[in-house]
Amino acid sequence: MNRRRTAALDLLIIIALTLLVGSILILACGAGPGEALSLFVQGIFKNKSSMVEVLVKACPLILTSLGCAVAYRAGFFTIGAEGQFYIGAMVTTALSLGLTGVPGWLRIIIALAGGFVSGALWALIAAVLKARFDISEIIITIMLNYIAIYFLGYAVRSFLMDPAGNVPQSAKIPKDGQLQVLMQGTRFHAGILIAFCSVVIVWYILTRLTAGYELKVVGLNQRAASVNGISVIRNIILSAFLSGGLAALAGGIEVIAIQKKLLEGISGGCGYTAVLIALIAGNRPFGVLAASILYAAVQSGAGSMQRQLGVPSSIVNILIGTLVVLILAKDLFHPRRRSSGADTQKGGSGV
Amino acid sequence: MALLEMRDICKSFSGVYANDHISLTVEKGEIHALLGENGAGKTTLVNILYGIYTADEGQVLWKGSPVDFHSPADAIASGIGMVQQHFSLVRRMSVLDNVIMNLQGNSFFLDRKASSRRLMELADKYGMHVDPQAMVCDLSVGEQQRVEILKALYRDVELLILDEPTGVLTPQETEHFFRILRTLKAEGYGILIITHRMSEIMEISDRVSILRDGRKAAELTTADTDPAELARYMIGRNLKEAYDLDQVSSQDALLTLENVCLQGGGRVRPVNDVSLTVHKGEILGIAGVEGNGQKELAEIVAGVKRCSSGRITLDGKDITDLNARRSYEAGISYISDDRLRDSLVTDMDVQENLILKEFRNEPFSTHRRMHFKAITKNAEEKVETYKIKTSGKGSVKTPVRLMSGGNQQKLIIARELTDSTVLVVASQPTRGLDIGATEFVRECLVSQRNAGKGVLLISADLEEILELSDRIAVVFGGRIVGILDRKDATEQQIGLLMGGIRQKEVGA
Repeated sequence: MNRRRTAALDLLIIIALTLLVGSILILACGAGPGEALSLFVQGIFKNKSSMVEVLVKACPLILTSLGCAVAYRAGFFTIGAEGQFYIGAMVTTALSLGLTGVPGWLRIIIALAGGFVSGALWALIAAVLKARFDISEIIITIMLNYIAIYFLGYAVRSFLMDPAGNVPQSAKIPKDGQLQVLMQGTRFHAGILIAFCSVVIVWYILTRLTAGYELKVVGLNQRAASVNGISVIRNIILSAFLSGGLAALAGGIEVIAIQKKLLEGISGGCGYTAVLIALIAGNRPFGVLAASILYAAVQSGAGSMQRQLGVPSSIVNILIGTLVVLILAKDLFHPRRRSSGADTQKGGSGV
Repeated sequence: MALLEMRDICKSFSGVYANDHISLTVEKGEIHALLGENGAGKTTLVNILYGIYTADEGQVLWKGSPVDFHSPADAIASGIGMVQQHFSLVRRMSVLDNVIMNLQGNSFFLDRKASSRRLMELADKYGMHVDPQAMVCDLSVGEQQRVEILKALYRDVELLILDEPTGVLTPQETEHFFRILRTLKAEGYGILIITHRMSEIMEISDRVSILRDGRKAAELTTADTDPAELARYMIGRNLKEAYDLDQVSSQDALLTLENVCLQGGGRVRPVNDVSLTVHKGEILGIAGVEGNGQKELAEIVAGVKRCSSGRITLDGKDITDLNARRSYEAGISYISDDRLRDSLVTDMDVQENLILKEFRNEPFSTHRRMHFKAITKNAEEKVETYKIKTSGKGSVKTPVRLMSGGNQQKLIIARELTDSTVLVVASQPTRGLDIGATEFVRECLVSQRNAGKGVLLISADLEEILELSDRIAVVFGGRIVGILDRKDATEQQIGLLMGGIRQKEVGA
């Protein structure tokens, strides 16, 4: 069987089914799919600002998904990007507001670095429990997310609350401590460049350095790693550290580049979306970059569709859910395979 | 009319014939042996018979009428039972519950008393004594096999398929097992037994079918043939002569273990007070039924596990506390008994697997940067030297999981046996390999020995131990129960030691 042709066929089936579901939903709320699609495309490509806006939306997704991809490569199935994002946002806010005597550029660096390290350490809790005691990282990271999310709620009502206001949010980050807009008339900020650089750096680590090789071995076969002298514990901890740091960096950038203050719900759930994006991207850094931008573009387009046509933008989330399910279940398109091999037989009976 | 007849069975996987027009009959009261190398198509054939695969062409006749099984349940319902090489028992359930599990005609409430009575009757009839209440995980391998057979008999099968049934048994257990088979045969059961051991075929079977490369090479009446003829049909040429181990091994100790113990989870120590020496230029064979501590022993020497007490030296240096990485750097090569789990990353390709031990060193990396040109070049050289067949145009970028067991093992050997190797720890190095690959692996071990290196050979295959070892240590219950010299050792004697009977009682 020609594997490449099968993969292309799979992709076509997936796209066709997704479009079908989308068209039905659009028709059902009384709009025409053609018009909706054209508004969708306009929402993304209308002008320079709208295109840059896609990158602004993609920025936190790139960093958090990259973090997930690094962890998944090592077989560390964290769901913790959301919590790490919050921790990074909090620590970056605290440092940005607290270090008043430090020049602005240095304060930005310290605040983001501090955020990175704090998120990395936060991720280490789950990594150590996993590596040393074999406790499920999935459950631990989900619980740590709750702790981080509600601790932020506590923080913006107490020690990080803006003394001048009475809403649960921090004081505004001083102008010189914000990441500046680099392109007039848009929101293109320096954080986007940081995200792009992170992709390249992580790609280099994963594919060109011995550390990446070790991570891959540990992720694919822990037992073989330890028998052949590669430390499983060290690698899981390393990947968790990097993973948590990247997610926290996303949180820090969101504070000092976009919101300019700390507030509840600041992540927009991107720590959870990151899990999906890493999955779709096959844990490859440039795949993560592409999938994040695509995801952000789809969101932008859906936004414009909703504003001008009244088509609920929830449709997009339904379609993304459909897409992920179809990608994971694509073996179902090939019923013939089931009877011929023991390995696919497992897949067949498991559904 | 034959009990079972398979006519012109064909089955191909992605264009390669696993079975190419194979025909086979089994009569009532007959033991029919199926012989062939790994990959010859034996397993495919019985899996078709048992309803796991569907044949592309051909017909299966059961008692004269055509049948078409879609699952093992169909086969069992018709009266065909199979004991797989790896048992399909639920370890934490009792023998009785395993036997009556998923039985057709089970009502909502189980009548365990009646079932137990029937099971005992069957067990008595065929001399397979088991306690229905015992937990499967507490049984020996031989007893578990008996449970599997009883499970099939309980379902009123008339044909029993046995896949490599003696691989895990001691010689004494094998004898007992053969007695059971003879009783079953006398009762009129048809038996199809898959094995690669010639001596057993000669002893137990009435007829033997030999498969080679998916085709039937011959069908012979056992009484009219001999092992040499069987081997000729099986591999298409004559077997190699015995290895030349006459050159006396030196008296210089290379590896010494002093009172090495491993504390297990329970009260029993998996490795208990083991002391032994491997000399330079010597193969020390460790014989024993699997699960008597030899795997743990190998892992302790290779640095994968750490012993809880005792002392290990290599060439005079203390290596007791070295981890796997440091042990390798000290010159210990390790060929594990579990290739897929311990030695290979099957989703990675040939070249990546070949640097699993050396990726930190030049020329594969400098200052943590990998050099892919050197990695590819190394792989191409190794593939050529060791004649590793990578499916897919000889590419070194083939994922290891697509390769055959023999080629996977060659890859491991190509990686592990280097110029800096001092001692080879080889655990079941030829398990599951075909004859060609087995010969190759054995030759590699012997050439290491002849180059003055030490080899610690752990094997459950007595023939292999006797053929290769200068001295033979037998383990039982985590202890060394006897060390024999090659020239004094007999299969009988080792067999008794493996069963836990001490050396002085054997009268060595």
